[in-house]
Amino acid sequence: MTRTHIGLKRLSAAAAALAVVISLGACSQGSSSGSGSEEGVITLNGDRADFTEAYKTAGDALKELGGSTIDPRNVPSTENYQQVIRSSLQTSSTTDLVKWWNGYRLQDLARSGGLADLSSQWDDAVDKGWVNPDSKDSFSYDGKVYGMPIYKSFWVIYYNKHVFEDVGITAPTTWDEFLSNNEKIKAAGVTPLFATQEAGWTSFIWFEEILSKLDPDFYAKLMNGEAKYTDDTAQEALRIWGDLYAKGYFTAPDVAWDNEPALFQEGTVAQVPMGTWRNGIFVSNGMTEADYGAYLLPVINEGTDPSVIVESGVLSVAEKAPNRTAALKAMGDWLNPDVQSAWVNQIKDTSANPTVVTDDPTLASVSEQVTAEKPTELVRFWEAGPPPLIEGGVQFLASFMVNPTEDNIMPTLEKLQDLADTEWAAWKAAE
Amino acid sequence: MVSHVAARPATVENSTVPRRGGAPGRSRLTRFSAIPFLVPALALVGVMLLVPFASTVYQSFTRDNGFTSEFIGIDNYVRLFADQGFLQSLLNTVMWTVGTLILPVGLGLLIAVFTSSMRGGRWLRFAFILPYALSGAATAVIWGFILRSDGALNQAIDFIGLTPPTSGWLLEWPGNTIVMIVANTWQATGVTVILFLVGLQSIPKETVEAGQLDGASGMRLFWHVVLPQLRPVTIVVIGMSIANSLRVFDLIWLLTKGGPGGVSETLAVTMYRETFIVSDYGSGAAVAVVLAVIVVASSWAYLRRQLQKG
Repeated sequence: MTRTHIGLKRLSAAAAALAVVISLGACSQGSSSGSGSEEGVITLNGDRADFTEAYKTAGDALKELGGSTIDPRNVPSTENYQQVIRSSLQTSSTTDLVKWWNGYRLQDLARSGGLADLSSQWDDAVDKGWVNPDSKDSFSYDGKVYGMPIYKSFWVIYYNKHVFEDVGITAPTTWDEFLSNNEKIKAAGVTPLFATQEAGWTSFIWFEEILSKLDPDFYAKLMNGEAKYTDDTAQEALRIWGDLYAKGYFTAPDVAWDNEPALFQEGTVAQVPMGTWRNGIFVSNGMTEADYGAYLLPVINEGTDPSVIVESGVLSVAEKAPNRTAALKAMGDWLNPDVQSAWVNQIKDTSANPTVVTDDPTLASVSEQVTAEKPTELVRFWEAGPPPLIEGGVQFLASFMVNPTEDNIMPTLEKLQDLADTEWAAWKAAE
Repeated sequence: MVSHVAARPATVENSTVPRRGGAPGRSRLTRFSAIPFLVPALALVGVMLLVPFASTVYQSFTRDNGFTSEFIGIDNYVRLFADQGFLQSLLNTVMWTVGTLILPVGLGLLIAVFTSSMRGGRWLRFAFILPYALSGAATAVIWGFILRSDGALNQAIDFIGLTPPTSGWLLEWPGNTIVMIVANTWQATGVTVILFLVGLQSIPKETVEAGQLDGASGMRLFWHVVLPQLRPVTIVVIGMSIANSLRVFDLIWLLTKGGPGGVSETLAVTMYRETFIVSDYGSGAAVAVVLAVIVVASSWAYLRRQLQKG
């Protein structure tokens, strides 16, 4: 009896061990980020929950053109999302399409060999006049295009019209007007400008805005590693930023970034600098043309060339996409005006296709200002340098926001330059 | 079956005799037959703990961006120890460890002792124990509402007619690390209170009564009679606190993201940032290894010393 009992126990232990092995084996199949290769459906992974419905809408428009519908997945945290893509892109668990960023972030992904070449789709779109050919560099690596733009966000200053009316001011057209507006807003008990380092990345916003309005050429050179953070122009930019802090125009540097739309809507903060992609949140919160408007920040010194910061998310096709052919076709149709109209009217941002006009009045006014001023388009700080330099750089800028004094200008810029030296060398070594 | 029952008293009588010499064949069989039962546990520990650890150690000797990996020897470690940010992170980790030993452990002991002998103490105790039921993330969100410059604390200071400090609670070091240790104390004290209460209840009444008969009372009774008997539970509480303080992450990440400018990072936050934000997996792995060595070394040193004394 005892022997039988031990035998049974052994058997059950062996069965348990087998079950563990099988279940671990199942784990190794992974929480796949989407290997479904259903006919007529392509999968897409992204980090913007608010885009999910719009992806489906764009998928329906793609289907009308004889393509596939889109089955979107979403990883809510940008950090987790980047991790998921890095680990899944080179495997068969990848989704067909991947939402990513342009500039150096796209290059970082493209040079790993995980993305499909979209040059022919790009050239086709250029031939049809669906995209500005000048922007090719920010979607390319080594001469080949690896991402199609999903929007073209201009960085503007949103302003609360009710506050402006109460104070008796209008959107500024010169730097002096911008300063005098802020003074009047502050005198009325409202915080003139939103700024926070709470979300981490948000610390570069005012640095980028001020530097590009001070000297757009210098900004472009600095971003490409051809100028130094310790140069006079960068010092001047921090001095102007520090001066705005000294005058008490900004919110506290630890205000929650998530509170920004509410603070802006209720008029606690009069102006927020942000990309036009933020427009969708204002609209969904119930703000209308009567409540808010947007203007391009004026240049600081008269005679400086006007410029605007531009940002584009991209869609890329994974080299190992289960539905590679269908995904490539979708990218060929992506900038088609029919698809773009459906897409941008849902996300409430500007299309990368210049022939597509959105029905949103605030975006229409931004487009009008861009058409009238013809500003130089500059790549946003976030995408304009090797990612480790940007991620480290925002930390130093965050420190400056907490202590925006003259004494802290050079230490901040020296740290930025040291980091730039290291990271540019590392980036070039990996070429 | 009958023979089994009859044999039993003899077994009990001989229970102090080592069994090993009795039936060598049977004993070996028993030992071998235990192996299949150990396999699942060993496999789980091996697959879930040892393999990842070995792979992390290897990764710390590489330059790895998530796509390509290249062996670079100890470069990551050399770079880390030359980096001011990493040294700041080490310093913050030490602050957290010391702070966590003084505050949750000290307060937990005080609250347990006072509420156990106080009328209505059972109800008062709830106020300290309940926050323990909250997750770290929920605690961080609540303290975020309180500590930000436009938060509840500054509004309260303003309301009673005082001026809030110009630098925010979360913006300058070492203030931000200290207020986060306080926030952590609010949550972590609950478990130490529970453990000390268990310890207090297990103290035989006779020892306390004997102390009282000998004329001890108040602090002297506590210090010379109660506290020495709390020693076993204190070892556990302090050991847990050391491990918890070394791996604190969620509260810091949600309140300051380790900033501004990395001044409030601890090793766990630095590890996360290097790995998942900067995508420098080799450097992140090196921080993880340093952290693991510190956790294991400090726990081992502490427990070995304490258990030997006990």
